[in-house]
Amino acid sequence: MQNRESNSLIGFEQLAVGYEFPSTSYQLSPQLISKYTEAVGAQSEEKSPVAGFVPPLAIAAYIMTAMTKTVSLPPGTIHASQELEFLKPVPIGTTISCTSKVAQKVQRGKLNLLMIQLEALDQDKGKVLSGKATLVLPAL
Amino acid sequence: MNQKTNSTIIVNQGDSLPTVVRQVTQRDINLYAEASGDFNPIHIDEAFAAKTPLGGTIAHGMLILTYASEMMTKAFGKSWLSGGKLAVRFKTPARPKDTITVKGKVESVQVKENSTLVTCSLEVSNQRGETVISGEASVQL
Repeated sequence: MQNRESNSLIGFEQLAVGYEFPSTSYQLSPQLISKYTEAVGAQSEEKSPVAGFVPPLAIAAYIMTAMTKTVSLPPGTIHASQELEFLKPVPIGTTISCTSKVAQKVQRGKLNLLMIQLEALDQDKGKVLSGKATLVLPAL
Repeated sequence: MNQKTNSTIIVNQGDSLPTVVRQVTQRDINLYAEASGDFNPIHIDEAFAAKTPLGGTIAHGMLILTYASEMMTKAFGKSWLSGGKLAVRFKTPARPKDTITVKGKVESVQVKENSTLVTCSLEVSNQRGETVISGEASVQL
């Protein structure tokens, strides 16, 4: 896993609609994916119907992690919902570039809703995944 | 006929998808934290988590969601990786020692000119019958 960006944190209150989180690249090496498949208890390579390809939820997890590592979210933040679209199979060994940006930020009573738009591109700039994550945060 | 044949895949409205059952362990959660890079203490620090309103560690929602993705992969193979969509809500946290069951059902099969859109309902529950994740997934065949 390679994080090419700064680790400085942005405060939640500084986030505005349209804010783009620093992009992050991952080389989806066999070792990295093997670690992931062990963690999620996925089928071994020989038995999998999609052998040789990256589990699509792994890419989503890397984008989410890249995003949350750059922002300071208050305790009590909940991952409320997730939308994902898998656009093409990603062979193991591919390098992907992950981007995310604030699509919506709304305060409702004692809660804040933060909707993040997610996207991953392969090394040929082909979109491999897009989606939206909704986080619910306690109002500050 | 609400049926689609794609070499090995035959789908009809009302079909059940292959059920996936998993037991969540703290080891799985720790491994997932390592693999994903998400080290939020609510997932991995039992002493910290015990002092929160949750009363203990919880699994990453994205870890539990992989079990739903596994069901879709079992049902639809590579088609899930190129044209799969899902929209879910995380309802209840999954905890270590929970037994998680993922069930899915084909809700509709829409035959189009060049492809067929299969839409399925998803229900992820724990051993107490509580819904952990619910939502919908679709795939183009």
